[in-house]
Amino acid sequence: MTSFEQGRVHQMRIHVLPTKRFKTFAISLYIGVPLEESSVTKVALTPFVMRRGTESYPETLQFREHLDDMYGAGFGFDVFKRGDYQIVQFRMDVINDAFVASEESLLQQSFAFLGEVLTKPALKDSAYRNRYIDAEKETLRKRLEAIVNDKIRYAAERCIEEMCKNEPYRLHPLGERKDIEGISSEGLLEHYEHWLQSASMDLYVVGDTSLDEVQKLVEQHFQLQRSEETTYHMTPSARVSRDVQTIVEKLDVGQGKLNMGLRTSITYKDDQYAAALMYNGILGGYPHSKLFVNVREKESLAYYASSRFDGHKGICTIQSGIEIENYEKAVDIIKKQLDSMQAGNISDLELSQTKAMISNHVRELGDSAFEMIGYDFNRQLSGKSRTAAELLEQVERVTIEDIKRAAQTFQLDTIYYLRDRKGE
Amino acid sequence: MQTIQHPELQETLYYEKMPNGLDVYVLPKEGFQKTYATFSTRYGSIDNHFRVTGEEDHQVPDGVAHFLEHKMFEEPTGDIFATFATQGASANAFTSFDRTVYLFSATEQIEANIETLVNFVQNPYFTDENVEKEKGIIGQEIKMYQDNPDWRVYFGVIEAMYGVHPVHIDIAGTVESIGTITKETLYTCYNTFYHPSNMLLFVVGGVDAEKVMSLIRENQAKKNYGEQGEIHRLFADEPSEVYQQRKTSQLPVSLPKCLFGLKEKKVLELGEEQLRRDLVTKLMLDIMLGSSTPLYQKLYDDDLISDGFGFEFNTGKNYAFSIIGGDTRDPDQLIERIRTAVEEMKQTGFDQAHFERARKKKVGNYLRMLNSPESIANEFTNYKFRESDLFAVLPVYESITLDEVNARLRDHFDWEQLAISIVESPVQA
Repeated sequence: MTSFEQGRVHQMRIHVLPTKRFKTFAISLYIGVPLEESSVTKVALTPFVMRRGTESYPETLQFREHLDDMYGAGFGFDVFKRGDYQIVQFRMDVINDAFVASEESLLQQSFAFLGEVLTKPALKDSAYRNRYIDAEKETLRKRLEAIVNDKIRYAAERCIEEMCKNEPYRLHPLGERKDIEGISSEGLLEHYEHWLQSASMDLYVVGDTSLDEVQKLVEQHFQLQRSEETTYHMTPSARVSRDVQTIVEKLDVGQGKLNMGLRTSITYKDDQYAAALMYNGILGGYPHSKLFVNVREKESLAYYASSRFDGHKGICTIQSGIEIENYEKAVDIIKKQLDSMQAGNISDLELSQTKAMISNHVRELGDSAFEMIGYDFNRQLSGKSRTAAELLEQVERVTIEDIKRAAQTFQLDTIYYLRDRKGE
Repeated sequence: MQTIQHPELQETLYYEKMPNGLDVYVLPKEGFQKTYATFSTRYGSIDNHFRVTGEEDHQVPDGVAHFLEHKMFEEPTGDIFATFATQGASANAFTSFDRTVYLFSATEQIEANIETLVNFVQNPYFTDENVEKEKGIIGQEIKMYQDNPDWRVYFGVIEAMYGVHPVHIDIAGTVESIGTITKETLYTCYNTFYHPSNMLLFVVGGVDAEKVMSLIRENQAKKNYGEQGEIHRLFADEPSEVYQQRKTSQLPVSLPKCLFGLKEKKVLELGEEQLRRDLVTKLMLDIMLGSSTPLYQKLYDDDLISDGFGFEFNTGKNYAFSIIGGDTRDPDQLIERIRTAVEEMKQTGFDQAHFERARKKKVGNYLRMLNSPESIANEFTNYKFRESDLFAVLPVYESITLDEVNARLRDHFDWEQLAISIVESPVQA
C-alpha cells in the first residue's frame, strides 16, 4: 500500500493517494469534535440538514438530480464515534471520466458539489432553513427510536451505555431524543458556523489525481475561513474500580442477547496495540476463535458468538444470541474463555491462525479506496503513525507471552442481558 | 482456455469448461492484493422437489440447502475454517433462493486456498451426530431472524404473494422442519446438486489465469465424477393471483414496517428476455420511486417514508415480483398515495429527461460495482445461473427505450396482483 501525500488548505488537512487502480474517485471528508452532551444532538442533526440542499441546488430534488446527472455519483454521510470524539463523515464516490463521455471533469464537479454542501448549505438560507430543520429533526428522532428494532444493535448500544454511564462515550453518535425538540433554527445555524470553525477536518481523495490538483480544487470550491488547525487528543478508557455490573432488560424477544464489555488500558497509539489485536482475534474475532469454537461449535448454544475491539477507546465487546434459559451456561463458558486468555492458554496454532487472519485483513485494505482512507484516518485520530506494513510486522512479532501480558489489562466491566418478558 | 475481452470496461475474463462439466472463470485484477473466489451450486431453498433423469422423485424438508451449507464446513479432520485460518483466508458461505455459494478472500497462499475451497465442497462428511449438533445452532439462527422485523416484513410479503411456489418458504426452514433432516437427506441433495456440471467457480483478483486453470484442471482430473443425468426441478403450479392480500405480524417496532409486492402474472424462462425485463423493471422503479424523484420527495415531506424506503425487483425460476416500502406511520395511506401517483404516471408516461438521468445513474452504479471483487464474483455467478451475462448489461442499458419503460410500467402495476405485509408493535395489555 503506497502512502498518502499530504497538504493543507484552510487549516484542513488534505490527503491524496494517486492511483489508477479504481474506476472511480473516492472522496472522504471527516469532521470531528469532542463528544459532549451539550452538542452531540446538534452535531448529529447538522449533516442531515446539509444533505437537503445547497445554494445552487436549494431544493432537495435538484440536489439529488444533480448527483444522478454526474453518472449517479455516490454521496452520503455518516455520524459515528471514535473514542470520545463525534465524527461526521461525508463521502463521495464518482466515476473516473475515462469510462464515460462526460463534458466536464467529474472530479471538478464533485469538489464544487462537496464544497457547497460544506460551506453553502441551504441551511444558511432563511427561505429553506425552517422547513429542512423541522423535517430532519423528525428523521433524526425516527432514527433514534428505531435503534430498538434491531435487537443485536440495540443490545450492543445498551451495553456501552451502561458500561460508560459516567463518560461521554455513553452517548449515541446520533445524540439524544430529548434534545431534539429544543433545537431552534437559529441555534442550529449558529452551531453550524462554530462547528465549521473549530472542528478537526481531514479530506481524503483516492483516484487518478494528484495532491496539487486536489489542493487547487479545495482552494477554488471550499469557502472556509479557519484560523487554526485542530488535532485529536484521545483519552483512553477510564478504569472503574467496582465489581462487574450485571444489567438485565426485558423486551418482547424470542432469543436472548448476551453482551459483555471489557476495558483495557491499551489503545491504538500503544506499542502493545498489536498484542491487543491478537487478544481480540484469538478470543472472538474469527470462526476459529475461542468464543465461536466453544460457545457455538462445542455447545451449540448460539449461532453467533464474537468479540470486537475498539482500539481508540480501549474497549472490547462480546456479543452472542442464545436460548433465554441458557444465560448462566453461556456466561460461564465465556468467562472461562476470558480466564483462559489471562492464563495464557493459547496454542501455537491459535497464534499462527490469528496472525494469518489479521495480516490478511490488513493487506486487503489496499484493495478498497475507502478502507485505505479509514486506515490512514486512524493516524489522525491517535497521533500515532503506523503504516500497514509496520502493523503487519508488529503483529508478526507478537508472542503468546505478549498476548498473556496484554490479557491482564482486559477487565470485564459489564454484563448486559436482553431477555423476554416471561415471569414479569 | 477462452479469452473474453471487454475493452470498454478494461476487463479481460478467462473461461474454461472442465471435462466433468465444471465452469471455471478467472478475472485477473492488476494491482489488487486480494483474491476472492466463489464456488457456487445452482441449488437453493426453492429446490425442494426434484428428480434426476432415470431416478425417483425427492421431496425434501424445508431448509435443507441451508443446512447442507452449514454442514459442508465440517470435514473428518475438523472444521475447515481452521484450515482457511492457517492459510490466512477469510471464508464464508450463503444460501439464497436458487444458489449456495462458498467463498474465501485471501492475500497469500492463493493456490492452497483455492484447492481448499474446491476440496472441502467436493468432500461431504455427514454423520448422525454432527447433523444433530447443527440443529441447535441453526435453531438459534432461525430465532435470530424471527426477532428481526426487517426480515419478518420482507418474508411476509413473499408469503402473502406465493402460496405454492417454495420461494415463500424461509431459506433456513423452521425449527420443526430442520428437526426432520437426517444425514441421508443431506447426501441425497448433495449427490444431486453438487455435481461439477451444476457448479461454477469464479476467481477474481491478483492472479494469473493460466495458473489457476491448470490448478483446477489437475485437481478435477484426480476426482471421479460419473456422468450425471439432467436435474429436473419440480414446481407445482402457482396460481397467478396472490395467495393472501394482507399479512400482519407483531414485533416491537418504533414505527410500523410496511412492504407491498406486485406479483408478475407472466413468468419468463431464464435467459436474455428475462435479463432485459429485469433491467427495464429496475430502471422503471428508479424513475418512479428513486430518492431523486418528485414522488419520493413528496412522500418524504409528508412524513410517510424515511431514508430506509426502498424497492427491488426479484426474479428466478417460476417467480418474479417487485417489493416496495419501508417504515411508515400509516401503511394504508402510503400505499394509497403511491397507487394514485402510479395511475397518473401510467396515463402520462415518464418523460425523456427523467428516463435519461435514471439510465445514466444505472450506468454509473454498474461501473462502480466493478471496483469490488466481491460484487463481480457474486453478480457474475448470479447472472450466469440465470443464463445471462453480467458483462452484457451495459449494452442492454444503452438499448432500452423510453417506450419500453412506459410499457413495462403499465404492465407491471396491476393492482389485482398486490400483496401487503405489515409488522407492527403488539398492543400492550
